[in-house]
Amino acid sequence: MTLAANSGTSFSSSTAKRALSPKRRRPASTSTLGISLVTLAALLALWFLAAHFEWASPLFLPSPAEVLTQFSAVWADGYANGTLLEHTLASLGRIAAALGVGIFLGIPLGLLMGLNRWVKGIFSVPIDLYWGLPPLAYLPLLIIWLGIGETSKIVLLSLSTFAPICFAAQAGVRSVPVERINAALSLGASRLQLFTSIILPSALPEIMTGLKIAIGAGLSTLVAAELIAAQSGLGYMIMSAANFLATDVVFVGLIVIAILAFAFTSGMRWLEHRLIPWKGKI
Amino acid sequence: MLRIRDASVTFPASDGQDVHALDHVSLDIAPDSIVVAVGASGCGKSTLLNAIAGFLPLTKGTITLDGKEIVAPGGDRGVVFQKDTLLPWANVLDNVALGLKYGGVPRSERHERSRRLLELVGLADFAEKPPYELSGGMRQRVGIARALATDPKILLMDEPFGALDSLTRETMQQLLASVWAKTGKQILFITHSIEEALTLGTTIVVMSPRPGRIVAWFDADFVREFAESGDIGPIQSHPRFIEMRQEIRSLIHQPEGARTGTLQ
Repeated sequence: MTLAANSGTSFSSSTAKRALSPKRRRPASTSTLGISLVTLAALLALWFLAAHFEWASPLFLPSPAEVLTQFSAVWADGYANGTLLEHTLASLGRIAAALGVGIFLGIPLGLLMGLNRWVKGIFSVPIDLYWGLPPLAYLPLLIIWLGIGETSKIVLLSLSTFAPICFAAQAGVRSVPVERINAALSLGASRLQLFTSIILPSALPEIMTGLKIAIGAGLSTLVAAELIAAQSGLGYMIMSAANFLATDVVFVGLIVIAILAFAFTSGMRWLEHRLIPWKGKI
Repeated sequence: MLRIRDASVTFPASDGQDVHALDHVSLDIAPDSIVVAVGASGCGKSTLLNAIAGFLPLTKGTITLDGKEIVAPGGDRGVVFQKDTLLPWANVLDNVALGLKYGGVPRSERHERSRRLLELVGLADFAEKPPYELSGGMRQRVGIARALATDPKILLMDEPFGALDSLTRETMQQLLASVWAKTGKQILFITHSIEEALTLGTTIVVMSPRPGRIVAWFDADFVREFAESGDIGPIQSHPRFIEMRQEIRSLIHQPEGARTGTLQ
C-alpha cells in the first residue's frame, strides 16, 4: 500500500530536478511588502468601520472620506495662513537647513574628534551636556536669545541633528580596523592618503547611521517646535486645527508627516545601498 | 638583507609583571630565502613580524633592512595579514593597485602592473569584482598580489593561510612556492603549523613562549622541490621531512634548553 501511494505521487528524477531547479536558483522570497500592504489595508478598513459605525464621535474620529475632502480643501484653499504645500515646504526647508548644518559641521568635527585627543577632549563635554537636554527645554531660551523667527527654530533643529552626526563620525573613525590602517601604512600611505583612502570610507557606514538618527531627531524636534512657536509649517497647521477641534485637518497634517518620514527612511535606504553596498559583507 | 640584532619587545602587563613578548632575538634573512617562524601561540612570532613591519617599536635592539634601520611601516616591506584587509569599496584590481596609487604611479601603468600580478596569482578574471564576492582563499591571493605590487624588498606573511580550510591552504602553499620561485623575493612567514613550515621554509626558526625567543633553527629545501612538482604528497612522506617534523614538535612541546638544530 505504501508502495502504491509512493508510485502514485513520485515523479521521475529528471522531473524532480527540473521542478526543484528554479527554487534552487532563487531562494524563497524574504520580501515583506505584500504582508505590509495587507496590514495597511486592514488598518484603513478598521478606520473606515470605526468612523462608519461611529464607535467614536465624528468630532474626534473623522471618516476617511472627510479627511480626503479636507485634504483637497487644505491643498487648494489652505488652512492657517497657508496652503498644505506651503506648510509642507516651510517644514521641509527648516529640516533641510538643519540637516545641512548638522552634516557640514558635524561630520568634520566628528572626524577630528575621532582622530585627535585634544579636539575630542575639548568638544565632547559641551556636546554631551546639551545632547542630554530635551530640545524643547531650551527652546524658550533660544527664543529669548534669537527671537521668535526662523533663526531660533533652525538653531534648535541644527543642535538636534548635529550631535548624532558628530558622534557617528567619531565612532566611525574609531571603528576602522587597525589591520586596515597597518595594511595601508605598509603599502606606503601618507597621513593624508590614509585619511582619504582608508579612514573616511571606513567611517561612512557609521556616518550614514548617524544621519538616519539625525533625521528622526530632527523631524520630531521640528514638529514639536512648530507646535509651540511658529507661523507656518505642518506642526503649526496641526496646532491651529486642534484649537478649533478640526480633527480632520489634524489627520491631514499627521498623514503628510507620516509620508515625509517614510520618504526620508526610503531615501536613506536607497542612499546606503548606493554609497555603501559592502555594508555587512566584510 | 634583513638583519635583526638583539631585538626585545616588552609589554607592561596589568599585574605589574612585564611580558617579554620578544627576548633578545637575532636573525638574518638573506635574499632569495623563505624564513618560516613556527611556534605555539604567544611565542612572539607575530610580535617579531610586527616589529619588522614597523607596526611595533622595539624595546631594545635594532632591525635593519639593507643597512637602513626600521622605525616605521613602509612600502619596502610588503605585509600579508591573516585577516582579510582588502578595501570593500574598491574592486580587486584597485585593491592590488593601492600601494602603486600611494606611490603616485599613473593610473594606466598601475592597472597594467596589477593585472600582471593578478595573472601571477591566477585571478585575472576577477579584476573587476568587489572583494566580498571572492572566497577566502581568493582574497588572500589578492592580498599577496597587493603586497607584491610595490615590489617590496621583503614579504612579511603573518599566518596568511591560518583561516583557510586545509584544501585551499594546500593550493595557497603551492601558489606561494611558485610565486617565490618566479620572483625570488625574500619572505618571512609566520605559522603554527610544523608541516607548513617545513613545506615552505628554506630556514625554519623554532620559537618558544615566555619569554619569546628562538630556540632552534633548521635549514630545509623541500620548497624547491615543491615549487617544481607542485605535489605535496611525496614531500610530506619524505623520511627527512618526518624526522624534522618530529624534532620540531618535541622542541615546541618542551621548550626548555635552547639548542641548535642538528639536522642537515
